[in-house]
Amino acid sequence: MTVPLEPGPRAEDVLAQAVADVVAAHPAVVRLDGGILGAVVTYLPGRRLVGVRVDTDPAVAVEVAVVLYLGTPIPEVVAELRARVGRVVGDRPVDVTVSDVVAAAPT
Amino acid sequence: MTSSTSTPATVSTSAATGTAGSPSRLAEDTAQGRTTIAASVVQKIAGIAAREISGVHSMGGGLSRTFGALRERIPGGGTGASNVAGVQVEVGEKQAAIDLDIVVEYGASIVDLARAVRRNVITAVERMTGLEVIEVNIAVNDIHLPDEDDSGSGASATPPTTPAPSRVE
Repeated sequence: MTVPLEPGPRAEDVLAQAVADVVAAHPAVVRLDGGILGAVVTYLPGRRLVGVRVDTDPAVAVEVAVVLYLGTPIPEVVAELRARVGRVVGDRPVDVTVSDVVAAAPT
Repeated sequence: MTSSTSTPATVSTSAATGTAGSPSRLAEDTAQGRTTIAASVVQKIAGIAAREISGVHSMGGGLSRTFGALRERIPGGGTGASNVAGVQVEVGEKQAAIDLDIVVEYGASIVDLARAVRRNVITAVERMTGLEVIEVNIAVNDIHLPDEDDSGSGASATPPTTPAPSRVE
């Protein structure tokens, strides 16, 4: 009957933040992005985490949307991102959206 | 793409539908998840690859430049109109078709130029996105006369000079 008020952050939110961190750490990622319609968002208390969406249902895929640097073939980068995210979220499927690309900055 | 039946063959590029925002799904539907590459990604790669060929002065006819400027204002309609002007893409599950509008430099062999552009665009898009490019249609809309910017447009005009020694350490 009584719904317990959870004082701490929800597990999905913690997971979403961890996913965002590992994705943003990839060298080919410019930034996280809201996806085609801007729908890939996690609503956290006080802020929005753009580019990651973790459903409460563990069967639903984790969604990640990114803007990439050009230079490395996109399927390669996506595979690496999926592997990185997989280490965080475990067995869940990971949907990756490449919503834009940016020409690589001359180094 | 060509399996559509009733459309007239010549004008069937169907560029009327602005393909800017439509997402394209790379058919990688495994149990590990889907990969989606936005059409604007293909557009941008094709535009950059076409511009890389020297002899291409700029991209886009008057009309597509207008649409490019318009599209820039639409949220999610693709950013950086300078990159996507003159590039229309149609992206399917595994394949992409690309239409380019280019302005060539005066003096370039248009046939050779178009061939080089096509090859570079196909290589870039296939390598970068994994999509198979089935056709690249190139429309040469204008020719640019080198009277205002005289940068020695001949490819053989500039001898290979050694770079000037750096003035700063």
